[in-house]
Amino acid sequence: MLILRESSYIYVRNLRTWLAQPTMIVAAVLSSAVMYLFFGEPLRGITGLPGFPAADYQAFLTAMVIVMAVVFSGSDMAMVLLTDIMSGYVDKLLLSPVNRFSILLGTLAIGATRAIAQVVAIILVATAIGVRFEGGVAGILAVIAATTLLGVAMGCVGLIIAVRTRSVQVTVNSWLLFMPLAFLTSAFMPRDLITGWFQFAVGLNPIEYILVAVRTVIIDGWVWEHIVPGFWVLLGTSAVLIGLATYEYRRATN
Amino acid sequence: MQRPPAVLVQGLEKTYPGGTRAIDGIDFTVEQGEFFGFLGPNGAGKTTTIKILATLLSKSGGHVEVAGIDIDQDARAVRSSIGVALQEVGLDDLSKGRDFLVLQGRLYGVGRAEANRRADELLELVGLSGVGKRKIGSYSGGMRRRIDLAGALMHRPNILFLDEPTSGLDPQSRLAIWEHLEQLNAQGVTVMLTTQHMDEADRLCRRLAIIDHGRLVAEGSPGALKAAVGGDVVRVSFGPMDSPDGRADIALGTLRRLPAVQEADTTPDGLTATVDDGGAAAPAILRALNDAEIPVANLAVTRPSLDDVFLHHTGREIRESDADEDAESRVWGQWMGVNRR
Ligand SMILES: Nc1ncnc2c1ncn2[C@@H]1O[C@H](COP(=O)(O)OP(=O)(O)OP(=O)(O)O)[C@@H](O)[C@H]1O
Ligand SMILES: [Mg+2]
Repeated sequence: MLILRESSYIYVRNLRTWLAQPTMIVAAVLSSAVMYLFFGEPLRGITGLPGFPAADYQAFLTAMVIVMAVVFSGSDMAMVLLTDIMSGYVDKLLLSPVNRFSILLGTLAIGATRAIAQVVAIILVATAIGVRFEGGVAGILAVIAATTLLGVAMGCVGLIIAVRTRSVQVTVNSWLLFMPLAFLTSAFMPRDLITGWFQFAVGLNPIEYILVAVRTVIIDGWVWEHIVPGFWVLLGTSAVLIGLATYEYRRATN
Repeated sequence: MQRPPAVLVQGLEKTYPGGTRAIDGIDFTVEQGEFFGFLGPNGAGKTTTIKILATLLSKSGGHVEVAGIDIDQDARAVRSSIGVALQEVGLDDLSKGRDFLVLQGRLYGVGRAEANRRADELLELVGLSGVGKRKIGSYSGGMRRRIDLAGALMHRPNILFLDEPTSGLDPQSRLAIWEHLEQLNAQGVTVMLTTQHMDEADRLCRRLAIIDHGRLVAEGSPGALKAAVGGDVVRVSFGPMDSPDGRADIALGTLRRLPAVQEADTTPDGLTATVDDGGAAAPAILRALNDAEIPVANLAVTRPSLDDVFLHHTGREIRESDADEDAESRVWGQWMGVNRR
């Protein structure tokens, strides 16, 4: 199919661009390792609290490290896209007879690739420090698949930010927007142990459900009642964001 | 069957979202195989027109056909048949020069082997063979313009839109590009270019249009435009004189009485006269000055240059530049929604 062929050209170019910025990649892996270190060690004692679901806090944290890395990649994607727009390279692509959709696909596919690379790197680090994945190999594959889709969804958020705000200033600082998504969750502490408005806010955050599902697969294995809500939320959120991004993109290029 | 014109523009209008009326109803045609120059002062509307023809920007009104295709009907077919180099080059700084060219070819449907071959050929042509493996981000301004131009040629388009393709280039590169454009044109490629360099327009273009404030103010071959501006200019410098006081005015009076002279004026070392035909008027001028006992050191006949044509049609006032505008918002303005096609 022509669209796929065209998208693959754009995709390869985006991949090259990404690989040409090793700092970005190193920073992504490093920040994950640092999160284990900073949050894992000092908070280790939390597992002793009554009602805490996991014996190994590192294992508990792994889901948070994965989901956060992917959530914040949306901000990176926004910046990458904005750079192409500002440099006039997007115009160059739009001048070519390539289908508009191919350009979008090639862009979102890179969001997926980045997510996969990050998640695989984190799983390797986790394994190295002794985290056991209760879901087994199937669980690991499921986690990778889910976070890949999340990566695409966050890439969509990045695209919308870049196309809508029209500003380097806003885009550079757009990680602020991803902060509540990442932190208004039970990332450090199970939801039962959180109280007050925070607990309420966590309940409203779609990322929370995805996080819980990922964490369940990692620390408990296939406990469906904790996985299924996350699955649907992920599917729904992704569908909405992909739809919105497509709409914004069409508006901006048509 | 008659071949459709390469470019057909009827009643083209463009009002930017901010309210700027950049194009105020212009009509022109570029025949296939023509080398067409589009001149105008800063802000006249050249880039706007090129972007509309290249389907990058939506128009507010009028009818445009490129390669015989209505741009509203099948923009994609138009894009396939044209090559475009914009004034503000759009490059991918992290990509290597050669990779950029190959990708550019692939996006236009050129096969892999052919794209690779063509990339090498064009790198050679624009004098960048040695740096094809370097990232574009490390290129100088002139190199960037050249790689951008090479990108526009990858798919051997039949119609080229070039917006100030040689601005910022050194004389060597400029000459090489000129020669290549002439060669392409000789092979039948239609070229429409904008330029601020009258020597470039004079050398390359067989027909010109001058646009100012979004309207066409002149159109024709360089020769016809020059002829229309007025006659040749005869410049005379005086030789040494015993009593120079007042002699220049006397000479001026003498010249103004000659029927061949339309207009005459003094200069620091002599005078100039505008005449219909420099060759015929020069002897009469010499004779008249001789009769008035005014020694002549030098006499030169110059035909009006394109600069004269340009200034004649667009005036001498300097146009406000866009430089002070916020570059970011400008790029964005161009990229945003309503504004695009
Ligand atoms: N994106 C935009 N938004 C609003 N106004 C614009 C935009 N781009 C150009 N203009 C305005 O439209 C007019 C024509 O601009 P254009 O860029 O077509 O001129 P030009 O002839 O190419 O000038 P130059 O020789 O400086 O390149 C100018 O008044 C300019 O300020
Ligand atoms: Mg311009």
